[in-house]
Amino acid sequence: MAAGGPEVILSIKGVSKSFPGVKALDKVSIDVRRGTVHGIVGENGAGKSTLMKILSGVYQKDSGSVQFDGSLVENTTPHQSMQSGLAIIYQELNLVNTMSVGENVFLGRFKEMKGMRGTHAKARELLDSIGCKVPTTRLVSELSVSEKQMVEICKALSFSSKLIIMDEPSSSLTGEEMAELVKIIRQLKEKGISIIYISHKLDEIFQFCDIVSVMRDGHVVDTKAVTEFTRNELISKMVGRTIENEYPPRPHSVGAVVMEVRSIKTHKLHDISFKLHKGEILGLVGLVGAGRTEIVRAIYGADKARGHQVFLGGKPAAIRTPRHAKDFGIGLIPEDRKLQGLILPFSVESNISMGSIRKFSRLGFLRRALEKGIGARQVQALSIKTPSTRVAVNNLSGGNQQKVIVGRWLEISPQIFIMDEPTRGIDVGAKYEIYLLMKRIVEAGGSIILISSELPEVLNMANRVLTIFEGRITGEFHPENTPVDEIMKAALGLEGGVA
Amino acid sequence: MGEVAIRMRGNAVTRAAQSFFRDYLVLVMITALVAVTAIVEPKFLNPRNLINIMRQFGPLMMVSLGMTFVIIGGFIDLSVAGIINLVAVVTISLIGPLGQVPALLAGLVLGAACGALNAAAILTSGALTQAEALFLTFGMSTVFSALALLYSGGMTMHFWDIKSSKAMFETIGAGTVGPFSVSFVIFLVVLFLLWVFQTKTTEGRAISLTGGNKTAARLSGIRILRSIFVIYVVCGLMTAVGAIVLFSRITTAAPVIGAGYETNAILSVVVGGTTLKGGKGSVLRTVMGVLLVILMSNCLDLLGVSTYLQVVTKGAILILAIWLDNRKQV
Amino acid sequence: MTANGISARMTGGGVGARLYSIVMRQKAFVAIIVMLAVMLFQPKHFYTAYNLLDMLNSTSILLILSFGVTLTIIAGGCDLSIGGILVVSGILSIKLQDFMPMGLAIVAAIFFGVVVGFVNGFLSVHQRTEPFIITLGMGLLLTGVAQQLTDAHPVPAKNPAFMMIGNGDFHGVPNLVIIMLVCFALALWLMRYTQFGRNLYAIGGDYEVARYSGIPVIRTKWLAFVISGGGAALAGVLLSAKLNTGSSIYGDLTALVVNCGVVVGGTSFAGGIGGIPQSALGLLVFGMLDNVMNMLAIESYYQVLLKGLVIVAIIWLDCFAQKRKREFV
Repeated sequence: MAAGGPEVILSIKGVSKSFPGVKALDKVSIDVRRGTVHGIVGENGAGKSTLMKILSGVYQKDSGSVQFDGSLVENTTPHQSMQSGLAIIYQELNLVNTMSVGENVFLGRFKEMKGMRGTHAKARELLDSIGCKVPTTRLVSELSVSEKQMVEICKALSFSSKLIIMDEPSSSLTGEEMAELVKIIRQLKEKGISIIYISHKLDEIFQFCDIVSVMRDGHVVDTKAVTEFTRNELISKMVGRTIENEYPPRPHSVGAVVMEVRSIKTHKLHDISFKLHKGEILGLVGLVGAGRTEIVRAIYGADKARGHQVFLGGKPAAIRTPRHAKDFGIGLIPEDRKLQGLILPFSVESNISMGSIRKFSRLGFLRRALEKGIGARQVQALSIKTPSTRVAVNNLSGGNQQKVIVGRWLEISPQIFIMDEPTRGIDVGAKYEIYLLMKRIVEAGGSIILISSELPEVLNMANRVLTIFEGRITGEFHPENTPVDEIMKAALGLEGGVA
Repeated sequence: MGEVAIRMRGNAVTRAAQSFFRDYLVLVMITALVAVTAIVEPKFLNPRNLINIMRQFGPLMMVSLGMTFVIIGGFIDLSVAGIINLVAVVTISLIGPLGQVPALLAGLVLGAACGALNAAAILTSGALTQAEALFLTFGMSTVFSALALLYSGGMTMHFWDIKSSKAMFETIGAGTVGPFSVSFVIFLVVLFLLWVFQTKTTEGRAISLTGGNKTAARLSGIRILRSIFVIYVVCGLMTAVGAIVLFSRITTAAPVIGAGYETNAILSVVVGGTTLKGGKGSVLRTVMGVLLVILMSNCLDLLGVSTYLQVVTKGAILILAIWLDNRKQV
Repeated sequence: MTANGISARMTGGGVGARLYSIVMRQKAFVAIIVMLAVMLFQPKHFYTAYNLLDMLNSTSILLILSFGVTLTIIAGGCDLSIGGILVVSGILSIKLQDFMPMGLAIVAAIFFGVVVGFVNGFLSVHQRTEPFIITLGMGLLLTGVAQQLTDAHPVPAKNPAFMMIGNGDFHGVPNLVIIMLVCFALALWLMRYTQFGRNLYAIGGDYEVARYSGIPVIRTKWLAFVISGGGAALAGVLLSAKLNTGSSIYGDLTALVVNCGVVVGGTSFAGGIGGIPQSALGLLVFGMLDNVMNMLAIESYYQVLLKGLVIVAIIWLDCFAQKRKREFV
């Protein structure tokens, strides 16, 4: 980048951020020039969201410096950040659904705007300036995603923002709506507003971004003008090379079909059908929100999805509740172990035994001796590090907590394990132990459906991979024989899938 | 450097002290009250007074034990007052026409049915949080109380109105078995059954797990809807037992005799140490809680505090106990 | 341009679904229409100016209560201590007249309500304790206070001027109705035209979003409780003035009726929606229900039952409506 170019409006230098067990950002440095559209790409878990949340004041960085518009940014709150001219539009959209468009744009600034009339008048002006025809009195709950984004953009404009960060704005937009958004982005750029555009959709990056930064595993891998990248280069940099000895040797015990799923349809999923084999690790790869968790929850009976069919060993199985799934030999390790998987104030022993109550009870009465045996057995088998089984599971590290859930299921030896982000927030050593566990399970004849946002993990552990994009299966691959880039493309909906 | 170490030690001590007070403040307060009363008013230690205290164990104890299950399950039941009203007037009115044992059974079934209605209202509306259950059961209380009023025509029924035998109920109310009152014996039996149910049966464990984390319990294959149904039926049943003991003791049943039982029961449970957050708790703790509440009333009576101020005190302690309970960390 | 987004209104089923949605949103309106229709066929004196004004008069106290409570419910909380505040402040307003001029006694009584509201707010907002049970406990506590103050005997007022406040009229319109209308206007202005009011809607609609937008969430929600307490105290003073006694028996069902009336009118316990006019309508349903039931000579115990069933139905419907939005994990 030549000296004497346009001014740098945002300068991020050496920013690091860690959470318990995981380093989310590692000395990240990016410069954003005024009046440019700066794209940021990276797969799930690369650190993009964390970086944005630090910029907008939701998180505080551990180290490094951030300079915005000439002044140092330190210990800021989301509101202060907005006021200083740095706006962020989240994927989840920060609007109050029960209030009108106009009020949302000027949330908390009623007095400034001199009441309802002023609020709606000014909101009307802003909406018109970006060509949006939604009436300002309409409730946000009645808007489409695209319209909600327009409201957020107006909110940013109302603060005279100089930099607007857009986090995955296009994930729920139709082609037409996307075209509208691009028009608006170009308009903003002409007004001198800089934009950080976070997206997986490489087409968009190439279409209207000026500069792109690629992030991976908490680092910035490269920052170049978009014209200097080729698509394949971009994908390679996103995915990176996998380090072989982080993973045990891939298990090869695939046998006959053990489960078949036909036509899962929910409001998010369109006709999902696939097979699972004995001894197989089947990976589901896709972006956040593609529908992977929805698929497994439908199979597990956790959500009300009717109309689909599950066949186990060739015979139809009616699974309407998690209890049915359990009786049929399917176990689920949920996405959020603290909220969905564990009872934090309860002991390690209770958390392990809660899945196998029938095993340690006779005629409706519990046998504590048997329960103790279960707890001790699993702690030993999985090397769960805990002072005793009576300790509250809340005191264990993330990896050991995860092992408790696995132990709960191992006790009843399910045929099929569904693991949703099993190694999230777990340190490297514990991860390896979980991989070994997975290997053990399939080598003993079980099957695993693995959902993970860490591509290397899936690619190294899974025998077969299904790519999911916007509720559809876009590809089926064997990672051993397939170049990573092809799998990535299918997950991004390119090459034969929906653009 | 040494300064930092000292400051940190100080912090640890204050944190431990804070934690102790948070968990046991109410216990400490009531123990202090008892001690003060024993000193100031020696009548407290009079055997007759102690027997009197034991006699009060019945109704509140039953209701509180039932309430314990609901709270352990992660919910709450504010309809107990209404259930008491209804069960009392219905049961007493049936002693004559149906006979004692059928009337008793009818009362118990009615209590369980009320509990089932509560559960139905909660489950059908999809209200699976404690807050919504609060409102729904509070509303149900008005319905039950209204039914009691309607059924009884607003009239109080007395034992002396009943022409046929009511010996069984009189025994429940005032009889003795050796040195103990019959109601105390009933209490022991019921406590044993409930304790076994809570700690030793699979359903008891299921209830506890449901209260601990509904989602985790459900995903582990536990039938949480069934557990929710069970806790309300048990509470309704226990409340019916309490109602029967109550009217047997005072030999009358007015359609308003249940007034105030819901707050006293919740107070007893919370004071006993069972957390409103659900999951952890025990019927034994509730026994402690009821004892403390009864002791408190007894002491305040002996110290000459008016019944009204006692209501004020109970309200204040309830607020205090809930506030402290809320501040407890995991 | 027209293809931009499909409005949520356009999705959804046929006539059945539309009708359901209308009834759910305008519960109070529908209930009132039904009652008005039923009374058309009754040969009694429902549709007389006297009766209608009388109905309004007797509902005025409940209406004044409802305005303050509406603030707390919109902010996502609730206030069940209003019954207790009502009773104690009513008693205080009479008893304090033995020590100070009437005006000062009234002010002191209202200040009492403000203080109680402050404590409610502290526990519910600052300490994040469940407002339902905290205000319920507070209501209980205050009932005890009321009984203590009066020794369970009604306390007669001695000041004829005091009685005039509650029973007099101004050119035919009862004083209570006038005061109620003034409160209505004030509350409406507060909720619709001030930053405070709009902030309450935001807090109830989405606490985190409101917080991120720089709204002082704790202060604002706390203030809602303070206003609710003060409003309840005002209602208590007026009730005592009307009945010319301070009695401890009126608190019981009042809190529940008022809170449910607000919900009937279209303000959900979930917060963020509804408003003062809706609450007024909702309370009118209950007021009218009482009047209608009396006119139809329904036995008083059946009246109580009917009211109880209506309350349960309202709460149940509110929970059920929230069910759609909830994602059960």
